[in-house]
Parts: sequence; structure tokens; C-alpha cells
Amino acid sequence: MPYRAPNQRAVTPQGRGRFPGFDVLEEVHRWDDVTAGVVLARLAPTTDLSFFSLAEDGAATALTDLLFAQDDEPRVPVVAMIDARLAAGETDGWHYDDMPQDAEAWRQTLAALDADAQDVAGTAFARLEHGNRAAIVQRVQDLGADAQQWRGLPAHRVWSLWTRYGCAAFYSHPWAWNEMGFPGPAYPRGYKNLGIDSREPFEVADADGTDPVTSTRTVEQFRTARSRLLDSRLEGGS
Amino acid sequence: MRGTDDSAIRSRNESAWLLPNDGSRTDHRLRADMRRYDLDEEVDLVVVGAGAGGSVLTQRLARAGWKVVCLDAGPFWDPDADWVSDERGSHTLYWTEPRQIGGADPVPLGSNNSGRGVGGSMVHFAGYVPRFHPSDFRTRTTDGVGADWPIDYADLRPYYEQIEQELPVAGQHWPWGDPHDYPHHAHPVSGNGDIFLRGAAAAGIEARVGPVAIPNGRFGNRPHCIYRGFCLQGCKVNAKASPLITHVPDALAHGAEIRSSSHVSRVLVDDTTGRATGVTYLHGGLEYRQRARMVAVAGYSIETPRLLLLSASTRFPDGLANDFDQVGRYLMVQGAPQTAGRFESEIRMYKGPPPEVSSEQFYETDPTKPYKRGWSIQTVSPLPITWSEHVTAQGHWGSVLREYMRDYVHWSTLGALCEFLPHADNRVTLADEQDRHGLPVAHFSYSKGDNDKALMQAAQKSMEAILHAAGASEVMTVQRYAHLVGGARMAARPEDGVVDADLRTFAVPNLYITDGSVLPTQGSANPALTIMSLAARAADRLAAGARSGLTEGARR
Ligand SMILES: Cc1cc2nc3c(=O)[nH]c(=O)nc-3n(C[C@H](O)[C@H](O)[C@H](O)COP(=O)(O)OP(=O)(O)OC[C@H]3O[C@@H](n4cnc5c(N)ncnc54)[C@H](O)[C@@H]3O)c2cc1C
Ligand code: SF4
Repeated sequence: MPYRAPNQRAVTPQGRGRFPGFDVLEEVHRWDDVTAGVVLARLAPTTDLSFFSLAEDGAATALTDLLFAQDDEPRVPVVAMIDARLAAGETDGWHYDDMPQDAEAWRQTLAALDADAQDVAGTAFARLEHGNRAAIVQRVQDLGADAQQWRGLPAHRVWSLWTRYGCAAFYSHPWAWNEMGFPGPAYPRGYKNLGIDSREPFEVADADGTDPVTSTRTVEQFRTARSRLLDSRLEGGS
Repeated sequence: MRGTDDSAIRSRNESAWLLPNDGSRTDHRLRADMRRYDLDEEVDLVVVGAGAGGSVLTQRLARAGWKVVCLDAGPFWDPDADWVSDERGSHTLYWTEPRQIGGADPVPLGSNNSGRGVGGSMVHFAGYVPRFHPSDFRTRTTDGVGADWPIDYADLRPYYEQIEQELPVAGQHWPWGDPHDYPHHAHPVSGNGDIFLRGAAAAGIEARVGPVAIPNGRFGNRPHCIYRGFCLQGCKVNAKASPLITHVPDALAHGAEIRSSSHVSRVLVDDTTGRATGVTYLHGGLEYRQRARMVAVAGYSIETPRLLLLSASTRFPDGLANDFDQVGRYLMVQGAPQTAGRFESEIRMYKGPPPEVSSEQFYETDPTKPYKRGWSIQTVSPLPITWSEHVTAQGHWGSVLREYMRDYVHWSTLGALCEFLPHADNRVTLADEQDRHGLPVAHFSYSKGDNDKALMQAAQKSMEAILHAAGASEVMTVQRYAHLVGGARMAARPEDGVVDADLRTFAVPNLYITDGSVLPTQGSANPALTIMSLAARAADRLAAGARSGLTEGARR
């Protein structure tokens, strides 16, 4: 099995998930070779970054760890995946006319996180205590919801840039699929058991069934309250 | 298969029988033996873009004996070698050269909009192929909004029937618009389609299975769908239709040349005669020129207006065929909100093709409502990365995002297509930024009108009602757009549009536009079938008469 140590079965990011034992990689032999090549490459050990500078790496790692709640190993290498895209100039094929092109926008927004951290605690974003870091990120989102600028850029566009690149990386990784019960590539095997509550032999039932709508509300209420505390220490709009 | 006779289809278009039947997806021999024309040879027709419109035109006129060269900026795909059963790995299918978006409601492009390569955007289109309704062709007269087309539904109907057989289309009897049947029976539905059918029945809304461009059963040498759910990533099975398998093989067999990886940079005109003489294009870092008696542009609603604007000359200082400042205007998108509902049961919406069930109950103007025109509702089945857009659109991040994503198997998703109206200021212009060829990129400005906003809200409510009726405990909606059309619209007079009823530009007698750019309105139907049918109609008219007209014109 390529890129998988003998003890690495059913890995999920931070060991979290609701589908015990579910491992999309058990089915690699039933994927076509071209797809297998593309997907398994995501499990290869990451190389040194080529787009982000050291300081940008620090801010980007701290940011994406927060956005994807990656507070422990094993981690999906989100920053390395974003770095590879930016180094190759692989964009989504468009950018907002009030934003720089994506690569430049990443550099500017990571620098802006460091600038916020300087104002809050005189240090780099990556060195900030977790609560303040989360509050800065929450504040960018809140400014966006109010159609405001954040350090000279429209905050909602910044949020879109971060989540778009971040999600395309995180949710392309087989470990994330293990966590959500998604079996990944399906050619040439296809699916035979369609329909509500029907499963293929290789699919695993949700063992938990937590309804996210009710279970996550308090987290978000707390975050918003916490980020308000920063308003007095950071400049408002721009 | 119902009622259609293979031999009638084959006498018109043999593509499905020209594909290999040995488990591979591409006839490499057919491509290797493709006829090749000299650059100096003045061919009958150069087509820019091998997508929905361009491929049909190429196939039809090659069959009529024309010498046709079709240039596409992207690759000549081989599904076996080039496509993957993976969301992220499919980014090569999209037009990812830079474009700028702006206006009050900027429309993201890329994966959600346009394709690149032989087959065009249909390579990764979902596969819904409804017809437009008769009312779509005269909304100005009937509803006082939008624009009237210079043709009627009846003009297009025979071509709808032809293309439905050639794709071919599977679905239940269609009760809306001009009621009709489809050549193939409807497919079985997955959990997502089942939720829509149950919810619609409970909410008193009519819904039908189909219409999808996926044969139910074998069609020629195309295998049956394996219900794997990756239609938006290119069908590695050759089950879902795209021009790469539905029209290009027959075009090659009839002597057309498809020149891939050839980006057309300019349509050439002779300023003294005012006629098109060919195109220049970039291939492998070099510029070439192909001479032609006639040029057809079919590069999609962004690249088509951009190319016309880039082809300005002394005679056409503001862009080719742009004497009345119509090029690039009246670009439209459909409002495409998607509403997801949560169920205790496992839906696993990634199984089965995303296009399964639709409803056109709300398509027409409802006189009791304050807004005009309407929307359709269809199943959509986002894969994980696209699903994460739904979740982040609600503002969720961190542990909350992860929890929602872990809950994926419990959600079912519907999408609406709202008929946004054409506005002159929604348009493509040239930006101050350049692509890697040094050509100015397109800037696309978009802003919704009040009617558009009202439709979007009403459509969302109708989807929430269906999902709640099916038993959803919670719903969430993401605001999106889909399906760009317009930008070089068809009109009765040159003051109102770029092309006439035969898709010929008013300004240049041997320049045609044969893609989605020509649509004056868009209904709330997905556009590909209408684009192909318009191209088939234009081809028929050219083959029937205009070829002599062409020679006469050339003598003038
Ligand atoms: C995710 C997605 C889902 C969709 N789902 C549906 C659906 O379910 N049903 C439906 O009806 N429609 C759907 N569509 C839309 C449909 O695919 C398009 O409307 C249709 O393909 C447009 O046809 P076209 O001929 O205008 O352009 P295209 O099919 O996009 O073809 C344009 C071609 O021109 C080429 N080109 C552009 N510029 C140049 C140049 N300068 N030189 C050379 N070549 C050039 C491009 O490479 C491309 O191949 C979907 C689209 C997307 C993106
Ligand atoms: S679901 Fe069917 S039509 Fe869609 S990509 Fe898979 S095999 Fe092709």
C-alpha cells in the first residue's frame, strides 16, 4: 500500500470521526490507476514550502489549524497543499476586482494577521495565545458579515479566500473522507445500493449521529462574545 | 429504449457507434487518422471552441461536406488517461486562466462555470437537459420583462427532438412547457432523489425523474451509468453525454479537423470588404493563422465577447460586430440557491448521478405574485469540497465546520434555477490585467435586479417546504449562481443584439456566433440542450442555402 505505514489504518484527522474502522484506502485496489495516483499523492510526505516565507508559514499554519480545528496530530497538511497550489499558480480562474490576485492576497492577509497580533499583544500571530488568535479570526469573519474592510481589504472576500483554499485542501484528503464516511473515488466499481439508509458492503454506518445544528450552537455564541473584546484594541473598519 | 430507431439516429450522427466497445473510452485510431488542413488552405469554416455549440455546428457541417477546422484552447481529452474520479483532481477541466469579477453581485467562475478542452463545459456539466418553454421566446410581449427572441419555440422544436435522441435523454413524461416524452425511460433514483420525490408529493408539488443526458441502457458503444456520482468531474464511463462523445467522433469521421490546445487570439477581418478572413491562434508558444471562408465563434459567454472585443480593427474600432455597443452586454446567470435538509436517516447523496429529479411547477409567471417569471427545482448532490462551501457559507469554521462535515451522510440537497432577467449593464469588458499570452483578460460585472432577488427568496422557500415535508429537521441555504448565457444576443434588429435569427452577426456577413452567448433570455431551464439545438438549426440553414449565399457573398 503506497504512502501508508502498517499501523496507519482508518486514520482520521486528530483521531476524530463517527465511522469506526471506515478506511477509504482499503478500496484502493478497486480504483482506476489514474485516480489512485492523484489521490495517493496527497499522502506523500510533504516537502519544504516553496511559496510561503517562514513568517507566512507561521501565520498560515496557525490560521488553518484554527479554521479546521487541527489542534493535534495527525494533521492534514493544509498549508503544504495550499503552498503547492500557489507556487504552481493554480487558481480558481477568477478573482474579485477589489482584491489582488490570489497569491498576492494570501501574502497580504497573512501579514495582516501578524499586524493584528502586534496590535493586540506585540507578537506574531503564530505566537499569540489561542484565545486571542481565535478572536482575531472571528473578528475578520464578523467584519465581513457587516461588509467592512479589514486592513484595507474587503473582509468577506478575505474569508472566502481562506476557506476556499483551505477546504479544497482539507476535504480532498482521504483522512477527511474517513472522518465523514465518504468512500472517495468510485470508478470503476460504482454503487449498487442506492436509496435511503442503504449501504455498500464497504460503507460504515454513522455510529454517533450527533446533530451538528444543536450541538455546535454554544461554541459559536462563545466565539462571538470573545471576539468583541478585541474591538477596543484593534482599529474598526480598516 | 422507447420508440426511437437507432438507424434514424445513425443516419444523422454515428458518434456513439464510433466509440470503442472494448472497455476503453477513446478511439485513438479515429483521432490519429483525422484529416488535417493546411494553414494556407482557405477552409469553408473555422469554428472557435469545441463545446456544446461549436461541436454540433462542426459535426453537422462536416457531414454536409464542408471543410471544417474547429480550434479549442484546451486538450483533446481521453477520459481513461486524463480524468479522475476525484473532486480536487478535476481542476484541469475548468477554464482557469485569469478573469476578473465585479459589480454588486460578482459571479465566481472557474469550476462552477466554464470548461476548457474538447467537449467544452459539458464535460463537467451536471447533465440536466430540459427544453425551454414556449413562453421563453416572448417574455417581453407576454410578461413585459426580458426580451422577445427573433425565433419561436416551434422553430427550435425539431432540433430539440433530434438532439434529445443523439445525447440521448432519459426521463419520465414531461408535463410542463410543451409536453413531451423522452427517448429513454427514467433512471432509478438514489436517496437524494427519493427525498425530493417524497417531499414534493407531501407538499403538493409535481416532480419528475429526469431529464438527464445519460442513456438508460447501452447506446451504441456507450456503457450504462454505474451510479458513481462524479458527473461534475467528467464521466470516465462514457455514460453521461458531452460533445466529446456525442458529436466529435462523427465530425472526425466526416473529415472535420479538431485542433486542440489552440487558443484563438483574434478573428481576422478585411477592413475593405468588411468580411472575416480567418483567425490567428496560439499553439505551443507560437502564433498561427488559419484562413477560412467563414468563421463561427463558440467560446462560451465570457470568451466569445472577449474575443470579439480583442478583434477590433480600423473598421470595427470598438470590437468586432460591436457597432451598436451590444457585444458583452445582457450577460445572464441563473440564481441558483441550494437548500440542504438534515435527516435522521442516512441519505448519502454522493451516490448516483447528481441530476435525478426536477420540477418545473414554478417556471411560469404566477399572476398572483409580485414578481415575473419563475424557477425550477432539481436535485444536486455536492461532493465533500462543494459541501464544505455550504457549511462555510453559514459562517461555520473550526470544530463546528468539522462537526457539520462529519454529518455529511445525513443531508439531502436541492438546487433551484431562477430566471434572472437580462440587464444591459451586466457585461463583459476587457480588464487592465493580461493573461499569459499578453491578451487583456475579461472583466465580468454582475448585479441583480429586484425581480431577481424576489425570485431567489421564493425559490428558497419552495425548497425548504419540500425538504420539511420530507421530514428534514433543519435546513440551510447557500446563495449561488449558475449557467452563464448571453453576451452576444440574438435580436430582430442590429440595434438590439449581435446576431440575427440564423446566428449570423449583423455586422459581418460571414461571421457566426453559435454558443450560449446568443440567448436573449434563459428561462429557468439548464441551457445546454437549447445551445446545441440552436447550433443544429443554424447548421441546417447554412447547409441548405447559405453555402451558395456564401459563394455569392465571396464574389461580391
Ligand atoms: C458545474 C456545471 C454544471 C452544469 N450543469 C449543466 C446542466 O446540468 N445542464 C445544462 O444544460 N448545462 C449545464 N451547465 C452549463 C453548460 O455546460 C454550458 O451552458 C454549455 O456547455 C455552454 O456551451 P457553449 O457552447 O456556450 O460553451 P462551452 O461548452 O463551454 O464551450 C466553449 C469552448 O470554447 C473553448 N474556447 C473558449 N475560448 C477559446 C478561444 N479563444 N480559442 C479556442 N477555444 C476557446 C473552450 O475551451 C471550450 O471548450 C453546467 C455548467 C457547469 C460548469
Ligand atoms: S453517475 Fe453515471 S453518468 Fe454520472 S459520471 Fe458516474 S457513470 Fe457517468
